Amino acid sequence: MKTVSIDIGSTWTKGALFEVGDRDLQLLKRTVSPTTVQHLADGFFQVLNALLDDDNAIERIRSGEITLNYSSSAKGGLAVAALGLVPSITLESARVAAYSAGAKITQVFAYRMNRSDIRALEDNPPDILLFAGGTDGGHFDTICHNASLLAASKLDCSIVYAGNRAVQDEVTDLLGQKDLVVVENVLPALDQQNPDPAREAMRSIFLSRIVKGKGLDEIIAATGSEPVPTPYAVYEFTRHIQEHVPGWHDFMLLDMGGATTDVYSSHDQCPPPGAVQRGLPEPLIKRTVEGDLGMRVSAEAASETGEALIAEHLAHDPAQIAAFHEYVEKVTAEPDYLPQDSQGKRFDTLLAGACAAYACERHAGRSTQVYTLEGTVDVQTGRDLTSVKKVIGSGGWLANSKEFDVGNWIRERKVDSKGKTVLLPSTVEYYRDEQYLFPLLANVARNYPEAAAFTGVALLAQS
Amino acid sequence: MQETIVIGVIGSDCHAVGNKILENVFARAGFNVINLGVMVSQDEYIDAAIETNAQAILISSIYGHGEIDCIGMRDRCTERGLDGIPLFVGGNLVIGKREFKDVEVIFKGMGFDRVFGPDVDLQHVVDCLHLDIAAYRREHQAVEAAA
Repeated sequence: MKTVSIDIGSTWTKGALFEVGDRDLQLLKRTVSPTTVQHLADGFFQVLNALLDDDNAIERIRSGEITLNYSSSAKGGLAVAALGLVPSITLESARVAAYSAGAKITQVFAYRMNRSDIRALEDNPPDILLFAGGTDGGHFDTICHNASLLAASKLDCSIVYAGNRAVQDEVTDLLGQKDLVVVENVLPALDQQNPDPAREAMRSIFLSRIVKGKGLDEIIAATGSEPVPTPYAVYEFTRHIQEHVPGWHDFMLLDMGGATTDVYSSHDQCPPPGAVQRGLPEPLIKRTVEGDLGMRVSAEAASETGEALIAEHLAHDPAQIAAFHEYVEKVTAEPDYLPQDSQGKRFDTLLAGACAAYACERHAGRSTQVYTLEGTVDVQTGRDLTSVKKVIGSGGWLANSKEFDVGNWIRERKVDSKGKTVLLPSTVEYYRDEQYLFPLLANVARNYPEAAAFTGVALLAQS
Repeated sequence: MQETIVIGVIGSDCHAVGNKILENVFARAGFNVINLGVMVSQDEYIDAAIETNAQAILISSIYGHGEIDCIGMRDRCTERGLDGIPLFVGGNLVIGKREFKDVEVIFKGMGFDRVFGPDVDLQHVVDCLHLDIAAYRREHQAVEAAA
């Protein structure tokens, strides 16, 4: 049995053909072609034809002789605006749900919206507005106020309401004219996160409405197969690895691209003895995305975010700082640029180090020591990854960088800028997705989860 | 209708036993109890009260630093949209031996509606909750009607 996987990225459309074995996959062929942004189907079929080298490729897929799975992050991926009530509570739950659906979050709003918030949404409409707020039976007036403002707006994107169940009817009455889907609350009670119904609604909207705007509907019509957002596939792949591969219950996965750095982690959280856990409960699998940390399109923003770290590394030779900024300007303007000399390579390493360090820092939770009459107590918030050891690096640059070890850079951010301890792994076993197959294997995992998970881990190079 | 209340032990106080007893008593008295546990900050009570639409916040403190921990709580509630929400505080609130009536004056001055010592009968607290929540609702409805 053969299976094809294709990932339509913002610049490249990548594909691979695998032979499916009992417990693993064998890579038969792979190819890459520029993404045809004007018409995504062109690039897709170029890759498909190159992989199958057969005039009847589509027939063989339609008949089920060869399986096909594909994902897309082209044309901005899945853009979600998140609306919650309290920033650290329902807005945070909405973020967790949107990230797990493979979205990038373009705007966030909390408490009562005003006219300028509505204008900001109208001027920069997301694909989906995820509307949360209030636990079940909890707060409702702000929710109804925001629903009335949205009802009177020109916004015509899909809206997923995943807030207080008590006012579902009021929200439905107010927003009935819009493209509205009502699902279970993302936070039915303060100690219970429930991202899955909202996640499923976003996936289904992506398929029923958003693929059309991106021109993916033509591929569905021709192949009979449906796409998912690329990070959605990788999120599920993280879950499959955790489920199927022994020794891989706890790990982090870093996917660093030109525009964003995505961090995924699989970890069952239980606070260590003596520590007090505050804030929302943590999910088993979590994804975060940093839009200001990337190797090319976001290089400028990354160099600003990582300023302190970069300055420290160039402190021995201050003249290098100006050269570094020149380099950043150059690669931002030419996203395809690959460094030719040792200085350029060193600057790329520095940029990658900053992206890795800050993306992991933001993904992880914090701990502070508090002095009490009973002695010191660690108060923890967010995700505690201190006991996690395995870290995988994926994405074009990390896949190719033998000398780079994410562990060395994570160590640089043991303490955040507010003096709090960052709950990242203390000892790192670093693995590299050397062939950069993770996004492609993530697609195959939709049909063959176990074989794809085993193959993904088997192909990792340990440094 | 079931009233929602938020409870927890404030500041760097990690005494968990009394907190569990309070949760139990208030739940049996028919309240929907949102228990934030120990070492709760002022904003955590307020965040929780907003999301759950709670009708009262009850702060406990045993370790003697309650006075410092509670400063500004009423203003913070008002600032964040919980005008007039019933605020109760109880426990071993100050260091040293001070008359309870003096302690009560301090905390009422800080904007707390009810102040209880460590040996209060919890049924009395439940009665006060019913009374104050009913008054809060009446006032709220009056404000809304006027608007």
